[in-house]
Amino acid sequence: MYSLLVKQFFRSNTVWLAFGIIMILGILSIGTGKQFLTQKQEAIVKTIEKQEKQEELIKKQNQLRENDIGLLLYYLKFSFINPVQPLSGISIGQSDLNSHIQNVSILNLEGQKYDTDLVNPMRLQVGNLDLSFLIIFLFPLVIIALSFNVLSEETEKGTWRMITIQGTSPFKFLLMKLGIRILFISIALGILFLLSKFILGIPFTIDFLYIIMISYVYILFWFSLCFFVILLRKSSNTNAITLLVSWLLLVVFLPILVNNYITNKYPVDEAFTMTIKQRDEYHKRWDTDKKETMDKFYKHYPQFKKYELKKESFSWLWYYAMQQMGDDESQHEREDMYNKIKNRERLSNQMARFFPPLQVQLSMNNIAKTSLKHHINFLDETSNFHENLRLQFYPKIFENQKSSSVNWKNFKPEYFEIKSDFNVFKNVLYIILISLILIGVSVFKNLKYFN
Amino acid sequence: MRNDIVVLIGKQFFKKTFYNKGLFVLLSLFLIVLSYVTINGWNAFEQHDHIVEHHQEKERQSWEDNPDKHPHRMAHFGSFVFRLQHPLSIFDSGIESYTGNAIFLEAHKQHTANFSEASLSTGLVRFGDLNTAMLLQLILPLIIFFIGYSSVTSEKENGTLKIIYIQGASIKEVLFGKTIGLFLISALFFIPALIALWSISFLETHTTNSSIILRSVLISVCYLLFFFILCCITVIISAKSKNSNNALLTLLGGWLLLFIIIPKTAQVVGNLMYPNLSKIEFRSVIENEVLKQGDSHNPNDSHFNKLRDSVLQAHKVNDVKDLPFNYGGFLMSKGEEQTAKIYNNEHKKLIKTYKKQNSITNSLVLISPYLAIKNLSMGLSGTDFSTYTNFLLQTEQHRYMQSQYMNELQMKFISNKAKGSEGKVHVVKKEYWKSIPKFRYEYIPLSKTINNQLLTMVSLSIWLLVVLLIMTKFSNRFNII
Repeated sequence: MYSLLVKQFFRSNTVWLAFGIIMILGILSIGTGKQFLTQKQEAIVKTIEKQEKQEELIKKQNQLRENDIGLLLYYLKFSFINPVQPLSGISIGQSDLNSHIQNVSILNLEGQKYDTDLVNPMRLQVGNLDLSFLIIFLFPLVIIALSFNVLSEETEKGTWRMITIQGTSPFKFLLMKLGIRILFISIALGILFLLSKFILGIPFTIDFLYIIMISYVYILFWFSLCFFVILLRKSSNTNAITLLVSWLLLVVFLPILVNNYITNKYPVDEAFTMTIKQRDEYHKRWDTDKKETMDKFYKHYPQFKKYELKKESFSWLWYYAMQQMGDDESQHEREDMYNKIKNRERLSNQMARFFPPLQVQLSMNNIAKTSLKHHINFLDETSNFHENLRLQFYPKIFENQKSSSVNWKNFKPEYFEIKSDFNVFKNVLYIILISLILIGVSVFKNLKYFN
Repeated sequence: MRNDIVVLIGKQFFKKTFYNKGLFVLLSLFLIVLSYVTINGWNAFEQHDHIVEHHQEKERQSWEDNPDKHPHRMAHFGSFVFRLQHPLSIFDSGIESYTGNAIFLEAHKQHTANFSEASLSTGLVRFGDLNTAMLLQLILPLIIFFIGYSSVTSEKENGTLKIIYIQGASIKEVLFGKTIGLFLISALFFIPALIALWSISFLETHTTNSSIILRSVLISVCYLLFFFILCCITVIISAKSKNSNNALLTLLGGWLLLFIIIPKTAQVVGNLMYPNLSKIEFRSVIENEVLKQGDSHNPNDSHFNKLRDSVLQAHKVNDVKDLPFNYGGFLMSKGEEQTAKIYNNEHKKLIKTYKKQNSITNSLVLISPYLAIKNLSMGLSGTDFSTYTNFLLQTEQHRYMQSQYMNELQMKFISNKAKGSEGKVHVVKKEYWKSIPKFRYEYIPLSKTINNQLLTMVSLSIWLLVVLLIMTKFSNRFNII
C-alpha cells in the first residue's frame, strides 16, 4: 500500500510544481548568498591591498614626514575586518546593512565607527532572497499546499469510508500519507542544503548542523500545524483558508507587528545625542584650558604622565589628548545607546519564542553570525583594536620618534574573532513544545474518531 | 450595456456579502488593526520628529556657542544634519527604515548617512514595516481575493448564472455588476484607510513645502485605481475558472508570485546584474582621482604649485605671505572645489548604478500592479529612493557651502603670517557662526516625483484599459455553465 501511496503522491501536478518552484528559487537564493559572500570577500581583499599600498606610501613620504610622526598618523588608517562566514550566505541577516570592515585612524573613534557601507536602500527594503527566507516563507506554503486536503479530500471523494473498512488503522494510513509528504519536503530541503554546502563552500561544522536542525524542526512545526488543522475534519476549502490565514499571520503579519512594537518601545535617540557629544567634547578643547584636558588624559593613561606638555604653541600630545576626549567624554551617552540596543535585542528574543518564524530567523542569524548582537560585538572589538593602536603609537608620537623607526610591516589588517554562545536547545525548545502541543491536542481530540 | 442591470447585480452582490458574518469579523479586525497602525505610526512619527528637531537645535546651539575661532577649526567642527521625515511617512514609510538618519558635514570629507533605523534593529526588522500602505498593498488584495473568488463561480456552481442569463442579463453586465459590488465591499476597507491618510494631511500642516494635500489626492486616486483593477481581475478570474477552488488557487498563486516572489527576485537580479562599488573601492577611486589631478594637502604638489605661481604672478608678489588674502584659505577653497567635484561625479555614478539595480523592478511595474502601486505610494509619500538621494544631494550642497564660507572667512580675516589654527590669536568673531544659514531640507517637488513615476502611472492606466477591454470585448468567451 505504501508504494501505491507514493505513486499517487507523485501523480499530482502540485507536487512537481512545488518541487520546481522550490528548486528554482532555491538555486536563486543560493546564488544570492554566493554573490553576497563574493562581494564581501572582494571588499576584504581590496582592504588588505589598500593597507599594503599605505606602507609604500609611508616609505615614499618618509622624507617628508620623517620627523613628524604625529602628522603621519593623522592620515594613516588601519583596518579591522569582520570575516564573513560561508554560513552567512544562507542567512544574510543584518550583515548587509552593517559594514564588515572598519578602516580607522587613531583619531577620535566614535566619529568613524558607525560609517555605513554603500548599499542600495531599495535592495535593503525589499530584503534578501536567501535560503533562510525560502525556508521561513516559502516552505510553509508548500507544506500547506501539499497537505491541507490529505484527509478532507478522501471524505469529499467518498474514499475515506472504504479506507476505514479495510482493516488497517485509518490513523496509520493518515500518518503514512503525511509521512510521504514530510519525506518529500525533507529531501527537497536536503538537496538545497547539499547544494549550498558545495556552492557556498560551507564546511561541515556544528554550526551548519545547527542550521539544518533548526530548519527541520521548523518544517516539522508546520506539519504539526497542518496535522492539527486536518484533524479538525473540516472541508478542504476551510482547511486551505485556515492554514493560509495562519501562514499570513505567523509569517507576514505578526513579525511586522512585533518588530514595530519593539522599535517604537525603544527609540534609539541616544545615537544622535552621542554623535553630537563626541564632536563637541573634542572640539571644545581647542578653546579650553590645556591643563584640564591633559589632566583628564593622564587620568585615563597614567602611564603617559611622564610626557609633559611643553609651553610651545602646538604639540601632538595635546592634540591627541583632545581627540581622546571625544571618545572618553561621550562614554555615558554611548552606554545609553548600547543599553537601548540591548533592550531591543532582549525583547526581540523574548517575543520570538512564541512565534516560530521569528525564532528561526533570529537563531539562523545568530548561528551565521549575522545578527545585530554580533555587529555590536564587532563594534566593541573595534574599540579594543583601536585602543591597542593608540597604546602602541601614543608613546612614539609623544617621544617624536622618527617614522622610519616604526616597523610598519607589523601593522596588517586584523580579523575579528567571533565567539559563539549559541545554545541550540534553548532556541528550538519552544518550537518543539508548540508542535508537540498541537499534535497532542489533535490526537487526544480524535481518539474516539479513529477507534 | 444597461446600467440598471449592472447596478442591480452589484447591489445584490454587495448585500449578500455584507450580511455575511465572516465579513463582519474580518472588517472589524481590519479596522482595529488599521486604527492601531495609524495611531501608533503617528505617535512614532511625532516622536521621531521631536527627537530630530531637539537634536538639530542642540547641534546648532553648540555650533553657535563656539567662541572666536580660526575659521578652519569651525570648518572641521562641522555640523550634523538629522533627517526629517515627510508627514506622509506615517501612511507609507517606504525605504525610511533603511536610510541613514544622521550625517556629519565637515570640510574636505564627505561622510555617509548613519544610524538608519534598521542598523539599530534586530533581524526582525527584515520581515517588513508596519504602516497603512502595507495593509493596503499586501493584506487588502488578499481580502479582496477571498471575498471575490467565488463571485461568479458560485453562481455557476449553483446553476443561477444560467437563470440570470436567460432572464436577459449579458455576461458583460454580470461581470461589471459583480465588479462594482466587490469594489463597494472593498471600499468598506480602504475608505477608512484613506480617511486616516486625509486626517494626517489635514493635521500635519506645519511642515512647509510638503504639498501634502495634493499628494494625498494623488495617493487616493492611485489606490482607488489599484483596487478597482484588482476587483476586475478577481471577477475575471472567477468567471474564467471552472470552479471556486480553481479560482481561489489561481488568485492566491498570483498573489504569491506578483506580490512576494517577483518583487524580491527582481531586486536580487538587478543587484546581480549591476553590482555597485564597495565603500573601500569608492574611496580609492576618489583618492586616485584626487592624486591624479593634484593634492592640495601636499606642499610639493605640482598642480597646486602651478596655481600658486600664477596667483603670485597675478598679484605681482614673490611670496604667499605678501598676498592681500590668506593663501591657506585660498588653497583650501580650491582644493575643496576640486575634491567636491570629483566626489560628486563619483557619487552620481554610484546613484546611477543603484538606479540601474532598481530598473528591473521599475520596468516590472508593467506586469505587476502591486509594484506599480508600491512605487507610486512611496514616491508620493516622500519616502522613496529619489527623495532620499535628493536629501543626500542637499546635504552635500550644504556641506560645500559651509566649508567654502569658512574658507572665505579665512581668506578675508586671517593674517598670512598665521602659522596654525590654534589659540586666540588668529581668530574670527563668533558672530559669523550665527550668520551661516541652517540646513533647510526641501522635500523633492511633487512635479519631479510625478515625472519619476510617469511610467508607473501609465502602467496602472494600461492595466485599467486591459481589464475593461477583457470585460467588455471578450465577455462572450466566458462559459456560463
